[in-house]
Amino acid sequence: MASNHHRLSGAPVAEAVDSAAVRITDLTRSFGDRRVLDHIDLTIARGEFTALLGRSGSGKSTLLRAVAGLDHGTVGSGEILVPERVSLVFQDSRLLPWSKILDNVVLGLPGKDARGRGRAALDEVSLAKRESAWPHELSGGEQQRAALARSLVSEPELLLADEPFGSLDALTRIRMHRLLRRLYETHRPAVLLVTHDVDEAVILADRVLVLDDGDFVQDLRIDLPAERDPGDPGFQHYRTTLLGALGVLPAHRTKEQS
Amino acid sequence: MNLDIARTGGGTATVTGGPQKAPPASAPPPGPAPEAGGLVPALQRRLGRGKSIPFGRLLGPLLIIATWWAASAAGWLDPRKLSSPTSVLYSAQDLWTSGRLQDSVQTSLSRALLGLLIGVAAGVVLALASGLSRIGDAFVDGTLQVKRSIPNLALLPLLILWLGIGETMKVVVIALGVLVSVYINTHAALVSIDARYVELAEAQGLSRWQFLRKVVLPAALPGFFTGLRLAVTAAWLGLIVVEQINATSGIGYMMFQAQQYAQSGIILVGLVLYGTFGFASDALVRLVEGRVLSWRRTITA
Repeated sequence: MASNHHRLSGAPVAEAVDSAAVRITDLTRSFGDRRVLDHIDLTIARGEFTALLGRSGSGKSTLLRAVAGLDHGTVGSGEILVPERVSLVFQDSRLLPWSKILDNVVLGLPGKDARGRGRAALDEVSLAKRESAWPHELSGGEQQRAALARSLVSEPELLLADEPFGSLDALTRIRMHRLLRRLYETHRPAVLLVTHDVDEAVILADRVLVLDDGDFVQDLRIDLPAERDPGDPGFQHYRTTLLGALGVLPAHRTKEQS
Repeated sequence: MNLDIARTGGGTATVTGGPQKAPPASAPPPGPAPEAGGLVPALQRRLGRGKSIPFGRLLGPLLIIATWWAASAAGWLDPRKLSSPTSVLYSAQDLWTSGRLQDSVQTSLSRALLGLLIGVAAGVVLALASGLSRIGDAFVDGTLQVKRSIPNLALLPLLILWLGIGETMKVVVIALGVLVSVYINTHAALVSIDARYVELAEAQGLSRWQFLRKVVLPAALPGFFTGLRLAVTAAWLGLIVVEQINATSGIGYMMFQAQQYAQSGIILVGLVLYGTFGFASDALVRLVEGRVLSWRRTITA
């Protein structure tokens, strides 16, 4: 059993003030004989938007679940330090079908003003009017916006997202990218976004990690303006680099090389 | 949906307003299939069951009563074997005037209700015990699965030996039948909760109590109601069984006496009462279920 999950603040191992939002040391996870994460070290600074890219089976979801503390039952070692308040966005919106939207947003939120804060969070994702709707009455995009509101209402210091836009249509995804970036600018949590979409990573993140075969093969800073244009040559450069790290070069490059 | 959708052979679709009616003038006449590339009037297709009929569930029983009435009026039925609906109504009236009907109904209803309440409470408690804890599961579930395979009728001799033939035995027999239905369905719902919601509860940092209240119990409620509907049926079934055994009051006793004096009218009054109570109680549970599970209504509609 992996029992090496600690909270940064309050835990005896952590300093009083830590500039990091995530500190992972020598993390290993295995499924049977297969080592999915192989002695990984990672530090994510407070307020840093990091995207984690990788092919399916590269271990990116395993890493995210380990950071979220949801990998009970897996075998491994290492140390993970995280802040007090961590939120998680799933690929599916995972709203409870028997709870109205506002009740879903404030699920587990402590405090007397929980509902007021929930309403404010719904307002931020433009769903203020749908607070007493049932989840299935909302469109896929609206459901995922409600899920975003649920994860941000607790003012997390670390936001974990596991391919949060993977099941949305292309147009909705573009809108969700803008919304997530805007919410990030307002709340400034550290973000660890797992995705297999290179464009999504470059559009959203300030730092992109590529995980392959249990270890990082790329750690790239994205030095682009906040409003990003996929047609921009700088954008293309990052895109090509990352695709290369993932072992998928654009078609024209492959031709040139052969 | 009042749209005429005309498909062309090429696969593009044009949508025009207006209610569906006779094919437009430009469409080919019905008859032999049009050659490839030709246009056919778009059909509105529906393979579902369509809209529900208001009070539709009453239609079958009403048809049976109407047939019975007509057959009696036409003199096709021997009144000694099957009285006419009119004489059944007279029998009911006589029973009402003498006060026997009210007494019998009250006795039977309180037996069924008491058995139902005890059975539901016990079923829910046992389902929670075994659905929420591994120790409870180890002790309770196997036992209840064994009980499930023994019909109540088989337990009857033992129960009479232990509890006599009084009210206690009657209520216990009813409660046992109810308990099993409620237990099986509630337990199944409790242990089959979507792992994704468990994960969500962990990620949101819910306490055990919050997890129970916000996730586990609402998720198990549909299963409980399925069990409850079966339980209500089980309660009436149990009631009918115990009222045949040395009863000295109740609807069953009233029918038993009528059998001695060949009063088929009174027997039918009893049957109609059983049927009405069964039908009404099921409708009541459905109504409550619809209210409580209102989040599901729009999904299934």
